[in-house]
Amino acid sequence: MLKKIGAVAFLAALVSVVVSTTAWGSAKAPRTAAAATKTVKCGTRVSIGVAYPATGGVAFLGALQIDWAKTAVKRWNASNKLKIKLVQGDTQLTTNAAANLAVAHSFASNGKVLAVTGPAGSQEVQDSAGVYHGAGLAPVSGSATRVFLTRAKTGKPRETSKGFFYRTVPNDGQQGDAVANFINKDLKKKRIYIIDDEEAYSQGLADQVQADLKKVGINASRNHVAQNVSDFSSLIAAIPSNTQLVYIPWQQAAEAQTFASQLHANGKNAIVMGSDGIDAPGQFTTHGAYVSGFPVDASNPVYKAFTKAHKGQPEAFGLPTYTSIWANATAIKMACKAGHGKTTRKAVRKTLLKVKLTAKQSVLGFPVKFLNTNKGTFQGPGDMGGNADFAIYHINNKGAYIRVK
Amino acid sequence: MHPLLFSIIDNIRSLGWGGAFQLLRNGLVLGSLYALIALGYTMIYGILKLLNFAHGDVYMVGAFLGYGILTRLNGPLNLAIGIVPAIALMFAVAMAGSGVLGVAIERFAYRPLRNAPRIAPLITAIGVSFFLENSVQLLTNGYQYTYNPFELGKTGTEELGPLYHTVFSVAGNPVTTVQLFVVGAALLLMAALVLLVSRTKFGKSMRATAFDREAASMMGIDTDRVIAITFFIASMLAGAAGVMFGLYLGVTYYFMGFLAGLKAFTAAVIGGIGSIPGAMLGGLIIGLVESFAIGYVGGQWSDIVIFGLFILFMLFRPRGLLGSRAIQKV
Amino acid sequence: MSDQPNTPAPEQPGVEQTRIGVDSWVAESEDRQARTRGFFGPAARGWDASPDSVKLFLFIAVAGTLPFWMNAGDLFIYGLFTVLYATLGLGLNVVVGFAGLLDLGYVAYFGIGAYGYALVSSDHYGIHWPTLAALPALTAFTGLVGLLLGFTSRRLVGDYFAIVTLFFLQAFLVFTNTANPDIAGVGLTGGSSGIGNLDPLKFFGYALTSVKQQYYFFLAVLVLATAGLYFANRSRTGRAWRALREDPLAAEVMSIPVNRLKRLAIVMGAALAGLCGGIFAAIQTAVTSSNFTLNVLIFIFAVVILGGLGSIAGPILGAIVINVSFQFLQPQNDHPDIKRWLFYGAIVLFVALMKPWYRAVVVLGGTLAFGFAVHAIVSATAATSWTGGAVTDTGHASVGKAIADWVVIPNQTLHGGFDTYAYIGLVVLVCVVRSTSGWWRSLILIPTLYMTAVVWETVLAPSPAVTAEILFGVLLIVIMTARPQGLIGTARVEIV
Repeated sequence: MLKKIGAVAFLAALVSVVVSTTAWGSAKAPRTAAAATKTVKCGTRVSIGVAYPATGGVAFLGALQIDWAKTAVKRWNASNKLKIKLVQGDTQLTTNAAANLAVAHSFASNGKVLAVTGPAGSQEVQDSAGVYHGAGLAPVSGSATRVFLTRAKTGKPRETSKGFFYRTVPNDGQQGDAVANFINKDLKKKRIYIIDDEEAYSQGLADQVQADLKKVGINASRNHVAQNVSDFSSLIAAIPSNTQLVYIPWQQAAEAQTFASQLHANGKNAIVMGSDGIDAPGQFTTHGAYVSGFPVDASNPVYKAFTKAHKGQPEAFGLPTYTSIWANATAIKMACKAGHGKTTRKAVRKTLLKVKLTAKQSVLGFPVKFLNTNKGTFQGPGDMGGNADFAIYHINNKGAYIRVK
Repeated sequence: MHPLLFSIIDNIRSLGWGGAFQLLRNGLVLGSLYALIALGYTMIYGILKLLNFAHGDVYMVGAFLGYGILTRLNGPLNLAIGIVPAIALMFAVAMAGSGVLGVAIERFAYRPLRNAPRIAPLITAIGVSFFLENSVQLLTNGYQYTYNPFELGKTGTEELGPLYHTVFSVAGNPVTTVQLFVVGAALLLMAALVLLVSRTKFGKSMRATAFDREAASMMGIDTDRVIAITFFIASMLAGAAGVMFGLYLGVTYYFMGFLAGLKAFTAAVIGGIGSIPGAMLGGLIIGLVESFAIGYVGGQWSDIVIFGLFILFMLFRPRGLLGSRAIQKV
Repeated sequence: MSDQPNTPAPEQPGVEQTRIGVDSWVAESEDRQARTRGFFGPAARGWDASPDSVKLFLFIAVAGTLPFWMNAGDLFIYGLFTVLYATLGLGLNVVVGFAGLLDLGYVAYFGIGAYGYALVSSDHYGIHWPTLAALPALTAFTGLVGLLLGFTSRRLVGDYFAIVTLFFLQAFLVFTNTANPDIAGVGLTGGSSGIGNLDPLKFFGYALTSVKQQYYFFLAVLVLATAGLYFANRSRTGRAWRALREDPLAAEVMSIPVNRLKRLAIVMGAALAGLCGGIFAAIQTAVTSSNFTLNVLIFIFAVVILGGLGSIAGPILGAIVINVSFQFLQPQNDHPDIKRWLFYGAIVLFVALMKPWYRAVVVLGGTLAFGFAVHAIVSATAATSWTGGAVTDTGHASVGKAIADWVVIPNQTLHGGFDTYAYIGLVVLVCVVRSTSGWWRSLILIPTLYMTAVVWETVLAPSPAVTAEILFGVLLIVIMTARPQGLIGTARVEIV
C-alpha cells in the first residue's frame, strides 16, 4: 500500500507543482489592484468598512468600538448630505485570527467600500497590511498601538507601507513614555511591579514601560496573568509587600477592579495604575488609583450623549473608533467634492493626509492631523500629529476621575 | 531552563513562610471549588461512563444565575434585603437552575445516545458546551460582570464588606470570612453527598446503576430516573460552586467555565474517576498545585505544570489515587 | 420494500441509531433503492456506477474553474478556506473516523506545523530554508509530536485520550502565547504578537504570492491527500482501522496490533495537519496563537461530523457546506436581506417536510395567524415601546415594515431583559416540542416557530458572528442525535 501511495504521490506532486507554478506562476497581478483606481460614483451613500472583534475573547471591546462607530455614523448622517453606511467585519481576534484576513479580502473585493476603520489589534494590522495595500485601502485603526506599525525598527522596515495605515490613537511609545515619566518624576516611586494580561496590547505597553523605567535606573518586576482567570490571590501573594506601585495595562475593567480590591484586602497598599484599556469610570473605581487615558473633554456634547445613552457609564476605549470613522467620512467627502461626485480609493487614501479635525470634532481632547514624517521618538507617518498624548487621571473616593496631568 | 530554576528558588526564598501560608490558604479555597465541580464530573462518569464537557458551562450558568438574583435585589451595591438572606436566595436559585439545566441536557442531548458508540455522546457534549458558551456570550455581549464581593453588604464607612472581614490572622496574613465560607460550604456539600450515596436507599440505587446499568434495571430500579437525579445533583453542585466563585472573586464571564472545567476534570481523574472521595482529594491537589505554581514558577507556567502532572498520572497511574483498577469485561 | 421490521418510525425521539441483527449491506439497501427512484434517480445511478477516480476528476474540474469566475477576495474566502478546512477535515477523519480516537487537540498539530514554518522561513531567527526542505521537515516533525502523544494513548481509553489532547492544546496555546521562552536571545514564539513576515512558498524560484496560485497549490495537496487516504482506506490497514473502531477488544483478539494502528492513525493525522499548518502560515505570512483556538477545532469537527465520519468525501462535502454558508453569513459579506430570506425559507422548508402535507399547512398558517394575533394584542394593550424596536438590516423598507407588523420587536434600550427571557423561552419551547409527538407537537410548534422569529429578529440577526458559533454547537448536537453518520456516511450497524 505504501508503495502505491508513494508512487502516485510523487508523480502527482511533480505534475501539480509544475502545473501550478509554470502555467499560472507568471507574475500576474492580483485582480484587486485594479480596485485601487476604479472610479466609484459617490451618489448619496458610501460605505466604510469596520473591522472589529465582534466575537471572541475581546468581544466586549469590539462591542464598545462598534457602539462608538454607530454613534459617529448617526451624527454624521444627521448633518451631512453624503450618508455613510457601515459594513461590519468580524475579525474574531483571539479566537480565529484567520478571520481578519477574510475580512480584509471581503472589503478589498467589495467595490462599494471606499475606506476602512480598524482592525483593532496591532498584529491584525500587520497581517492584513499586504491585502489592504493591494486593494488600495488605508485602514485607520482606533486601537492598534504598536509603535513599529508606523516607525521602522533599527535594521528593519516599518511593518506597514507608508501612506497605507493611519491611526487615531496614540501609540504604545507615547503612552508608555507618559506613564513611565509620571511614575518616575511625579509620583517618584522606585519599587514597581508590572503585570500584563498576556494579550498583545498589554504586553506591548508593559514592555515599553519596563524599558523606559530601566532607562532611568528603576528595575521593575514583571509577571503575567491570563485574561480570563480572575483568581489573583496567588499572584498577589507573589507581590513583595514593599512594592509601591503596581502597573496593570489590562483591558478588562472588572478584573482590574477585582485585582485592586483583593490587593488591598490582603494588606498590600501599593498604588494601582492602569492604562486606557481600563479607563472606564463606571467600572474601575478603586479609590486612590491612577489611570492613563485620553484627555477627553467631559463637556463635549458627543461624550455626554454617549454617557447618557449608556446609563451614565462612560468609557473611552472605543472613542478613537469614533474619530476614525469621522476622519474617514471627512476624507471621502473631500475626495468626492474634488472629483465632482466620483472618486477612487487612491484619492480617498491621499485625502486622509489633508483631513484636519478640531479637538471638538475628534472628541479625543486634541486636534487630529495625520503625520507624513517621523516626529519625536515614537511617532511616524500615519500617527496623529499635534499634541496627541495621554492624560493621567486620579480616582477620588467618590470614584470620579480627576485629571492630574 | 536554567534561568527558570533560579527564578523558582528565588521566588521561594522571597515569599518565605508568610507567602507560603498565603499560597496554602488560596490553594485550599480554590481546591474546594475545583472539588465541587470535579464531584459532578466523577458522578456523571461513574453512572454513564460519559465525559460531560458541558459541566464547566453549567458552573458558569450557575454563577450568572446568582448574579441575576443579585441584580434583582438591587445589588451588588444597594442590597434590598440583608446579605445573609440574599446569599441564601442566590444559592437556592442558582442550584435549582443549574440542576434543571443539567437534567435538560441529559434528557435531550445524551439520552438518545445511550446505546450509541462512545464517540457520539462525547461529540454531543462538546456541541452542548459550545452552545452554552456562545449563548451566554450572545446574551451578555461578552461583557464581564462582577458580584463586587469586596463591597457587598457594606455598611457605613468600613472599607471592605462583611465578606472580606478578617476572621483571624496567621503571622499577619488575614483569613477572610468568604474564604472560610467557601471551604466550609464545600465541605458541607461534600459530606451531604457522601451521606446520600453511602447511607440512603437512593444512594444504593445510584451505586447499582453505576456498577451495571442493565442489571440494575432488571432489579426494578428506574435507571432513567436515577440518571436524571444524578445529573441534577451533579449540576446543583456545579451551580453552587459558581455562586461561591462569584462571592469569592466576583467576576463572571461567559468563558469562565472552560478552563475551570478542564482543571476540575483533571482533578477528578487524578483522584480516581468514579470515586467520590477521589474527586475531593483531586480537587484539593489541583487547587494547591495551581496556587503554588503561580506563586513560585510564574503565572504563565501554571497551566503547563498542571498539564505535566496530568500526563505523569496518565502514564504511571491511570486509575488515579483512589480509583479502582478497571477490569474490562468481555 | 419500505415496511421492513426494525425500521424506526421517523418521528420518535430517542431511538437507537444502531440496528441490531441487520447486516450492513442489507441496512444500506433501503437507502440505495430509495435513491435510485424519483427525479434524480438516473443521476444517482450514474454516480453510483462511476468509478471513484471519475468522481475525483469531476471534483477537480469543478474546483479548478473557481478562479476564473471569482475575484481574488471571494476566492480566498470561499475557495482557499474551503480547501484548507477540507484537508484538515481529512486529517481529523483519519484519527476520529478511521481509528475512532477522539482527538481534541488536533488544532495543536496545525499550530506546530505553522509555528515550525515560521521559525525556519522568516527573519525571526534569520533561517530561510527553501520550501521544498521546510514543508517535508515540518510534516515529519509534527508526525513525531503526534507519535509522542500517541504513546500516552497506550494506557488510555478513548475518553482519557480526549482530555489529554484537549489539555495538550491548552498547553500549546499557553506556551506560544505567554510562556514564550527566550531561546537564542529572542522569544521563541513571539508571544501574543506571534511571528510575522514569513517567506511565501517558493518552488524552483517561483513564489506563490497571488491567491490563485496558492489556491491551486493547496487544491493539489488536497487531491493528493484524498488519493492517499483512499488507498489507505481500501488496504489492509484501512480494514484493520475499521475493525479497531468497531470493537478494539475483538480486534486485539484477532491479533490486530491495536496500539500500533492507533499510533499510526494519530501520526498520519498529525502529519497532514502539520503540512496544512506550514502552507497556511505561508499564505497568511504570519502566525499567532489565536489561529489555533478551540473555535477552529470545533469548526473542523463540524466539518467532519457533517460530512460523515469515516468517509473520504465526507470532509470535503462538509467543508464546502459549512465554510461557504459560514462565510456567506458573516457580517462583512453584506447580504442582509438574503440572510433573512434564507432563515425564513429554512423554517418553511423544515415545516414542509412534515408528513402529511396538511399538517404542514396547518402549522405554517397557524404560525402566521398566531403572530399577527400576538402583535395585535401587544400593540393594543402594552406601551408602544414593546413594538417600537428597529428591524436590523433591511435592504427594502417594505420588508422591514412587514416584519415589524408580524414580529413583536421591543425597543432594546427600554426592555433590555427581553433578549434573555425570549432566548431562554425559545430553548424551553424547543425542548417541549422534542418531548411531544403527534398533533400536540404540531400545536406547540406554532408558538415555537413564532418565538424563533422573534428571537431571530431581536437577538440573533444583530449578532451574526456569534449566531454562527451557536449554530455550530446546535449542529453537532442535532447531527449526533438524529443522523450520526452525517450527510454521506453509512449508518453503523451492530451485529449481535
